[in-house]
Amino acid sequence: MDLIKSLFVSASGLKAQNGRMRIIAENVANADSTGRTPQDDPYRRKVPSFTSHFDKAVGAEVVELGRVSEDTSPFNTIYEPGHPAADEEGYVQTPNVNTLIETVDMREAQRSYEANLNVIEATRRMVQKTIDILRA
Amino acid sequence: MVNHMALTDLPVFQALKSKMQWHQTRQVVLAENIANADTPHYEAKELKDYSFSDHIGRQEFGISTKTTASGHITGTLSADGNGVEQKKDMFEVTPNGNNVVLEEQMMKVTENQMDFQAATSLYTKSLGLIRTALSKT
Repeated sequence: MDLIKSLFVSASGLKAQNGRMRIIAENVANADSTGRTPQDDPYRRKVPSFTSHFDKAVGAEVVELGRVSEDTSPFNTIYEPGHPAADEEGYVQTPNVNTLIETVDMREAQRSYEANLNVIEATRRMVQKTIDILRA
Repeated sequence: MVNHMALTDLPVFQALKSKMQWHQTRQVVLAENIANADTPHYEAKELKDYSFSDHIGRQEFGISTKTTASGHITGTLSADGNGVEQKKDMFEVTPNGNNVVLEEQMMKVTENQMDFQAATSLYTKSLGLIRTALSKT
């Protein structure tokens, strides 16, 4: 039945957004993770990506979390001479995570997740209506 | 030509069944669009608009009573030229722009759901009509 297919597609959307939220959570949680020594790199922001592919078992185009790549933008620096990871001049490299960007990404993930949930709800009601024919 | 047919082969049921199948297929396409709303290079898809004439071919049919014993009366009911039969469910998927507008897709999902409900309600009502015709009182 096609409506069940639709449920699978939406579920793949939920799963993908779920994975994206996990990456965002990692980024936000590690927004202040510096290295231990001046040579260590701080946490590097991760960027999730989505890929769509035709799922033969489902028979429709589903979405999944693709390769998680790293943000190659330069790290931020703060002046904190007493920090164990500070270099000779007293600067500490901090992660290239911008919490504002992460928050916006999180909102987007949330909206997309809700959209998929709404489709599931709509599909569920359609299935229910079909079953109601039997009751008539 | 008179074929024996099931109750649900009546033109109205055939037409509604075909429409309901179209809505189901559309729901999958819309679900794909929404699931892929954040996928790079994904192009929103949409079904070709539904029209009964696209999916339905005319066919003559009717109903006749069976005579199982001598003395039974034969009765025929024919629906000449008014009968419609579904040929095959092939709904055309056409690319539509190059991006998914979530709001637009959500509107379409709601619309699809409502139209589907209209079709199922009509189906139920039609069944009710048959039931009325079959009932004694």
